[in-house]
Amino acid sequence: MTRLIKLVTQNIDAVLKDTARILRGGGLVVFPSDTVYGLLTDATKREAVQKLIQFKNRAPGKAISIFIQDLSHAADHVKIHTKQRPMLASLLPGPFTVVLPSKHTVDPLLESEKGTLGIRIPNFLPILKLVQIFDAPITATSANLGGKHPYYSVSSLMSQLPKSKKDLIDLIVDAGKLPRNKPSTVIDLSESKVRILRKGDIVVEKRNKYLSHSPVETRKIGCYLIDKILKQKQNKPIIIILKGDLGSGKTEMTRGIAEYFGITNIISPTFVVYYEYKIKAHNFDTFIHADLYSIDDDEEFEQLGLEDFLKTGNVMVVEWGERLGRILQSFQKKAGIVFVEIKYDGEKKRQIYVSN
Amino acid sequence: MEQQNEKIILSIDTSCDETSVAVVSGKRVLSHVEYSQILMHEKWGGVVPSIAKRAHEERIDFVVDKAVKNSKSKIQNIDAFAVTYGPGLAIALEVGIRKAKELSKTYNKPIVAVNHMEGHLYSPFVQNSKGNPKRKLIFPYIGLLVSGGHTELIVFKDDLSYEILGETRDDAAGEALDKAARILGFGYPGGPILEHLAKEVGNTDTYHFPKPMLRSGNFEFSFSGLKTSFLYKVRAMSENEKNNNLGHLASSFQEAVFQTLIKKTMKAMKQTGIKHILVGGGVAVNNRLRHLMRKTVREAEGSVLFPSYKYLNFDNAAMIGFVGAIRAKRNLFVENPEELDRKPRVSLLQSTIK
Repeated sequence: MTRLIKLVTQNIDAVLKDTARILRGGGLVVFPSDTVYGLLTDATKREAVQKLIQFKNRAPGKAISIFIQDLSHAADHVKIHTKQRPMLASLLPGPFTVVLPSKHTVDPLLESEKGTLGIRIPNFLPILKLVQIFDAPITATSANLGGKHPYYSVSSLMSQLPKSKKDLIDLIVDAGKLPRNKPSTVIDLSESKVRILRKGDIVVEKRNKYLSHSPVETRKIGCYLIDKILKQKQNKPIIIILKGDLGSGKTEMTRGIAEYFGITNIISPTFVVYYEYKIKAHNFDTFIHADLYSIDDDEEFEQLGLEDFLKTGNVMVVEWGERLGRILQSFQKKAGIVFVEIKYDGEKKRQIYVSN
Repeated sequence: MEQQNEKIILSIDTSCDETSVAVVSGKRVLSHVEYSQILMHEKWGGVVPSIAKRAHEERIDFVVDKAVKNSKSKIQNIDAFAVTYGPGLAIALEVGIRKAKELSKTYNKPIVAVNHMEGHLYSPFVQNSKGNPKRKLIFPYIGLLVSGGHTELIVFKDDLSYEILGETRDDAAGEALDKAARILGFGYPGGPILEHLAKEVGNTDTYHFPKPMLRSGNFEFSFSGLKTSFLYKVRAMSENEKNNNLGHLASSFQEAVFQTLIKKTMKAMKQTGIKHILVGGGVAVNNRLRHLMRKTVREAEGSVLFPSYKYLNFDNAAMIGFVGAIRAKRNLFVENPEELDRKPRVSLLQSTIK
C-alpha cells in the first residue's frame, strides 16, 4: 500500500524520520526536490535499486545519480582531482549533477558503463537533511517512467501512472506544486574536457561561465548566483556589477536576483538611475537596482549617494556598473563585489561570466 | 470668472530633470517658471542625477522667487505649498521637499504632498493665466500616462480617486523610444528624433516589429522585448543599410509602441465602458500618437483630451499646483511636515482617496 504524507514546515522532522525508516527497509519514496519530484531509495542496497529500475523501465547501463549531503562527502563516492575542487565548489550545492569516476560505494547498477557516477547536492533543505539522517547516499532520479517528462506535482504524477507502477511506491511525500525548474544540468567531469550531458535551467560551460538561451534562463542564473554569492560573502553589503550591451538581458538578470528576495516588481531604473526595494526576508534590508548608463564622470558618482547604501543586509545590482571607475575602489573596501558580464552570442544565446 | 474659493498654491516639482515652480489659483496658472536642464543633459545622453540634484539645489531659490514675482501675488497670500514627493529620482525629489519644508516653516503655511502621476492625470485641465482652456472635469476617465519613466493605464474615477488597470513590467514607452534612438546612434531625448524620422517616411510600418503584450489579456505593458527585436534587426544590417533605412526603422518602432498604447487604451474603454480618455506625460507631446489616438477614439465614439500647452506634457509644477489646490480644499495637508519623505516609487494607489 502506498502511503501519502503532506510535507509542511511544521512536520518536516517527523516526515524525514519516517522517510528514512522506509528507505532503510529498502522502500521506494516519491520526494520533492529543488527541481522535480524525485524517486528516492537506498543507493547501496541491491533490491532497492532493482525496484527503482523496474519502476523506471530504465535500460541497463544507463546511470542513476545519487544525493549526498555535502562536498566533504563527495570524495567518499567519487574520485576527485585536486584541480576539479574549485569547479565542484562553484557548482554544488546547486541544480547540477556532476559525473565523476565512481569509487564503487553504491550499487553498480547506478554507475555508467564507464564506471562513472553522478552526484548531486541540491539546494533543498529537506533532501540535505534526509541524507544526513539516513547517513548513506540516496538515489536522485526523477519520478517518471523512462523517456517520459518529469512531474511538478504529485497529483499529475499519480494520474499518469499505471497501477502496477503505483504499487511499487511505498511512500509519497507531497509538497504541493513545485516551481517549474527543469531537471538538473548534468556535467561530466570524468574526462579532460567538460561535457554537458543534459541541459537544465542553468548551463555551465566551465567554472564561472554560464550559458543562457532565454530571458527565463537568465533569471534563473541570477537567482542561482545570488544564493552562491550570499554564502561566500557574509556580513557585508553585496554589490553585483552587471556589464553587457543594451538588450543583453541585464534587467532580466536583476529580476532573477530580486526574485531570490521575493521581489517581483522590478522595472527599468534607467530614467531615475536607481530604485530601492525593501527586502522582507530576515537579515536583509534594502535591494537597490541602479542603472548608470547615463553617467560617466567620477564626480557624478560621488554625488549619487550610492555609498550610503553600503550596509550589511543591503544588496545592490548596478547595471553599467563598470563605469563606476575610481569609486569602485572605495566600494571594494566596504562591500563584497561580484562582476557579472553578459555577452551577446546570437539572438538566442548569451554567455555569462562571473568574477570577483 | 474665477470662483472666490479657489486656493492659491505655490507648487514645486523636482521629480526629475526640471526645476519647476508654479503659483496657481485652482487650475489657473498665475505663473510657471522652470529651469529646463535638457540642454545640460544633451551632452550626457540621459538625465544625469547628480547634475540634476546640484542644478536643482543651485536654482530652486531663484526659481521660487521668480515664480512668486511673475504671479504678481505675494508669498503671504499663498494658502499652501504643494510639492511632488514621488515617483521620481530620489535625490532630486529631496531638493524640492526640503525647499517646501523651509517655505512652510518660514511662512507658517501647510504643505500638500502630491503624487507626480496625479499631476499628469490632471494636466489636460490646467489653464493659462487667462483661464483657458475651459474644460470641466466630468468623471470617470481612462487615463493613459506615458513618459520616459512611466506607462500606466488608469481609471480616474473621481477627484483624487484612481484605480490602476495596468502599467509597464519593464521599460516605459518613452524610455523604449529613447533606447531605440540610441540603437540607431542618436542622442537624448530620442522620442522627438524618432518622430521626425518617422514623419519623413509617412509613418509607415515597414518592419512589423512585434506589438508587445497585445494578446496578454490584461492591461500591462512591456517594451523590453520590442527593444531587443529592434536591436536584432539593426544588428543584422550593415552600416550602410541601416543609414539608408533610418526612417523606416524609426517609424516601424514608433508604430509598434503607439499601436500597443492605443489598442490597450481601446481595450480599457471597452472593458470599463468609459468613453472619455485623458493622455498625459512626455510622450503625449508626440503628434503621431495624438493623431492616432484621436482617430481611434473618435471611431469608438469617445473623446480624448491632451494637455493644452506643450510644457504641460512634461514634468511641471503647474499640474502639481492644481492637484495641490484640490487637496488643500479638502484639508489634505501633510500632518507633520518634518516627516515628509520622498517616495521614488510611490504608486497612484497610495494617493487615492477612498
